[in-house]
Amino acid sequence: MADWRDVVRARLSALDLSPEREREIVDEWVQHLEQRCDDLMAGGSTRDEARRIVVDEIGGPSDWTNDMRRLRQARVTPPIPVGGPAACFSGLRDDVRLAVRRMRATPIVSATAILSLALGIGANTAIFSIADSLFRRPLPVERPEQLAVVVSQAPGGAARVTWSNPVWEQIRQRRHDLFETAFAYSARVSRFNLARTGVADLVDGVWVSGDYFGGLEVQPVLGRLLSPADDERGAGNNGPVAVISDRLWRSRYAASPEVLGRGVTIDGVPFTIVGVMPAGFFGADVGARFDIAVPLSAEPLMRGSDSYLDRATTSWLAIMARLRTDQQPSQAQGALRAAFPHIRDVTMPRELSAEGQARYLSEPLTVESASIGTSTMRTRYRRPLSVLLVIVTLVLAIACGNIANLQLARALERRQELSLRVAIGASRWRVARQLLVDSVVLAALGAVFGLVLADWLGGVLIRQLTTYTNAVFISVPVDDRVVGYAAIVAVASAFLFGMLPAWFAFRTEPAGALRARGRGGSSQGGRGPAGLLVSGQVAFTVALVIVAGLMARTFASLSSVDLGFDREAVVIAELDLRNSSVAPSGRGAFYAARSAEVAALPGVARAAVSDITPISGRLVDNYVDVDNGPDSPDAMKVAFQNVVTPGWFDTYGTPIVSGRDFDARDRLGATPVAIINETFARRFMDATVPLGHHIRLGGSAPQAPWLEIVGVVADAAYRSLREQPPPTVYLPLSQAQEVPAIMRLSVRAGVGQPMHLVDSVAAAIARADENVAMTFTPLDQHVDAALVLERMLAMVSGFFGVLALGLAALGIYGTSWYAATRRRRELGIRLALGATPAKVRRLVLARTAVVIGVGVVAGVAGSAWASTSLSALLYGVEPFDVATIASAAAILALVGLLATWIPATRASRIAPADVLRDP
Amino acid sequence: MSYMSKATLDRELKKGSAELICLSILESRPRHGYEIGKLIEHRSRGQLKFHVTSLYPLLYRLEERGWLRGRWVEEAGERRRRFYSLTAEGRRVLARQRTTWRTFMNAMQLITGVDNG
Repeated sequence: MADWRDVVRARLSALDLSPEREREIVDEWVQHLEQRCDDLMAGGSTRDEARRIVVDEIGGPSDWTNDMRRLRQARVTPPIPVGGPAACFSGLRDDVRLAVRRMRATPIVSATAILSLALGIGANTAIFSIADSLFRRPLPVERPEQLAVVVSQAPGGAARVTWSNPVWEQIRQRRHDLFETAFAYSARVSRFNLARTGVADLVDGVWVSGDYFGGLEVQPVLGRLLSPADDERGAGNNGPVAVISDRLWRSRYAASPEVLGRGVTIDGVPFTIVGVMPAGFFGADVGARFDIAVPLSAEPLMRGSDSYLDRATTSWLAIMARLRTDQQPSQAQGALRAAFPHIRDVTMPRELSAEGQARYLSEPLTVESASIGTSTMRTRYRRPLSVLLVIVTLVLAIACGNIANLQLARALERRQELSLRVAIGASRWRVARQLLVDSVVLAALGAVFGLVLADWLGGVLIRQLTTYTNAVFISVPVDDRVVGYAAIVAVASAFLFGMLPAWFAFRTEPAGALRARGRGGSSQGGRGPAGLLVSGQVAFTVALVIVAGLMARTFASLSSVDLGFDREAVVIAELDLRNSSVAPSGRGAFYAARSAEVAALPGVARAAVSDITPISGRLVDNYVDVDNGPDSPDAMKVAFQNVVTPGWFDTYGTPIVSGRDFDARDRLGATPVAIINETFARRFMDATVPLGHHIRLGGSAPQAPWLEIVGVVADAAYRSLREQPPPTVYLPLSQAQEVPAIMRLSVRAGVGQPMHLVDSVAAAIARADENVAMTFTPLDQHVDAALVLERMLAMVSGFFGVLALGLAALGIYGTSWYAATRRRRELGIRLALGATPAKVRRLVLARTAVVIGVGVVAGVAGSAWASTSLSALLYGVEPFDVATIASAAAILALVGLLATWIPATRASRIAPADVLRDP
Repeated sequence: MSYMSKATLDRELKKGSAELICLSILESRPRHGYEIGKLIEHRSRGQLKFHVTSLYPLLYRLEERGWLRGRWVEEAGERRRRFYSLTAEGRRVLARQRTTWRTFMNAMQLITGVDNG
């Protein structure tokens, strides 16, 4: 029959089809023409007659060209080869194209699916990138794997990474013997004041040893970084030097090269800027960054007599080593441990009691790998981040449930097509693959949008964590780690929601589906796999809503916790006298006079000075002896301490329960006095009336004086909102032997906003001495800052709880709508046979109610099991809180009912005649 | 109708309805081109005939729009054939076109008063 081939080819030649396409068309048409001939012959025609008739039917070449013009555009899809290994992946491009086409056919449904996936994947990726940066990402410096940190580890106790400067100086002497090198830096970022006088201009700064930048192998973008010569006591020949961050260089110095050699006043001390650190460099402390680094040797200039440099009992430096190429942390640890007894002896503070000397540096030290840097945030954020990761994974799972349901519905719609494909020889794998490709394309789009979202969301979360007291900086670049994670999550999601439809396709019976065509089908929309999916979604949503409820209640409890003081209407002025003309001996009088002056200002109700302000994060504690205390182990008798001026309790609204406030009688030389809080009296004193009894601070130090208790005040929060108020001792500033250069003046406003008082208070202080540095913060900002984590957890879990509710509602709505549609015929018949619309509505509602009920029960059971791990994050609410659980279940039931109501109502309005007439 | 030749009428009517015809034929199950042509002829009791030159361009066009899907299927020992089936979109289009035609026919009936019985 080669002649038909020639006939067709001759007529197609004018169309310039690609050889491949032409072959396809020729094949198809030749078959057609041959069969036409066969039929004509079967009908009685001779071969020649049949041929003549067919040639007549197809017309001449010119007719063809006209009719065929469109063929240039017509696509010819490749064949489905049956079996064979290469068959597995052939036609993949077509599958992708078809998937995209199918998505475009239902844009709203596809967009909703992609958006919910993007939210799920984006949130997951954002949390992952924060956790990754904090816990896993190597420091962005050269050879981070060689870095190690010196840790002291009490058996069973918490690891401590800070050391005193005398210890560091000993290690520094031996740094090249023990390691390749070693360096130290202040473990907490400090606030450096760049203003010469008046209201402080604070930037984040650190003290670093001379080898810091060399040890981290960081190169400057301009000038030079610090060297060991800069870190010698006396600060070199040209005065102290500083290096600044790229950020500060750009924001304050317009990235000018002229910055080198310029002076900058830091805490009143003139420094010379010698270099600019590279952009993106944040040091070895992950979660913080700094804009200025100065040598350790400059610390005494800035802190004056309060310098830590020679204090063996003040641990404030992290010590990091760069190990030799062939050196393991364990080897370095061995070497350091060998040298340590000597270091301990040399640095032993002689003023300590025998007991204190025995305790000094007695914990074993370890050298641990620090390729990921050190961080003060890790302990605090580990659990919250895990909770967040679980939350966003649940959200993603719920989104996947919706898409699985959608895909399942689409697969059911295509049941017949799929069956036919299996019937005419497509392998089940081939058919399942098409469905999986649909899912992967959806997931890929979700991941792309998710990444954009993750970048934004990560930034938002980190900004949420930054407070007045604690600037959080976590670099979360969208790099290959993050993209890789998003890709893994997307593929996992695709399999999660693509598996069910694909499995469905796998068990498609070729003949069965063809027979079941059109009519009724199965009415399993509410049960079966779709019902299970919805139950799963409901379960996850219940769990999420419970978590959100617990977090919200924790936040609410902490926000309304009885602090023991009145947080409103107080502004705190931190006064720094280091740069002023006030002599150390005159500080007490200066502060007392200023607080009296400020208290008399218009608009000021009260004012008083203290060393510590509540919830500021600072604390001073001390061992105490009590003249009539019960015998309890030393460790139990530790009290927090504060130094205050008269009127401080009034300023904070903390009532004096018995006795009196400090007053003019309490001067140096008079009987030393103290005020204690109720917890102190209860815990450490036997007497029911503590007044007149004596306590002694400073453990067993023999020279400390006995203090007479003249007052007892109500308990008040000291450091943390979660802690019970600790035993606290208040001392009068007027009896302090040494007054710190920095104290805090608390000012309560009589009327209006306390921050409105800033100008008049600042002016009053400046009148006395214009070189006093001042920083003003409202008290409630300190309290808010203490709640930042709880607020974030409540916000994020609340947001995702609502999102999950929305997604679940969408899922329930879609499934019950679909189920009702599939049962249209059955419901129509019921209505025709006399069922009332209400009964039909109940019928639809009942089915969904079962599905939701199963989900709620599973969700409650699951969260009851899992919520114990939340208990550390909770406050004022139990992990298994009946009210929260009941509310979550009720919310879900309500949302489920609403989401089913519309399809149910629709179903009850079916006109039976229409249904029965439909083909 | 005197001014319109039978051939012209045939062409015009076919053009307008060809899509609907093809989609309807494929509604119940996938079929290959020859079978489609035969069925059209059979169901119209011989009044409509589609030959290769009109049938296949139409099929290709519908396929391009995503209403149909054509696949070569080869089985051992048998000639391979191109089967056409309706896509989900095709099904939706079919439903829409049916309604339109039904409305149109009703309207025509009302206007012309011709009862096609």
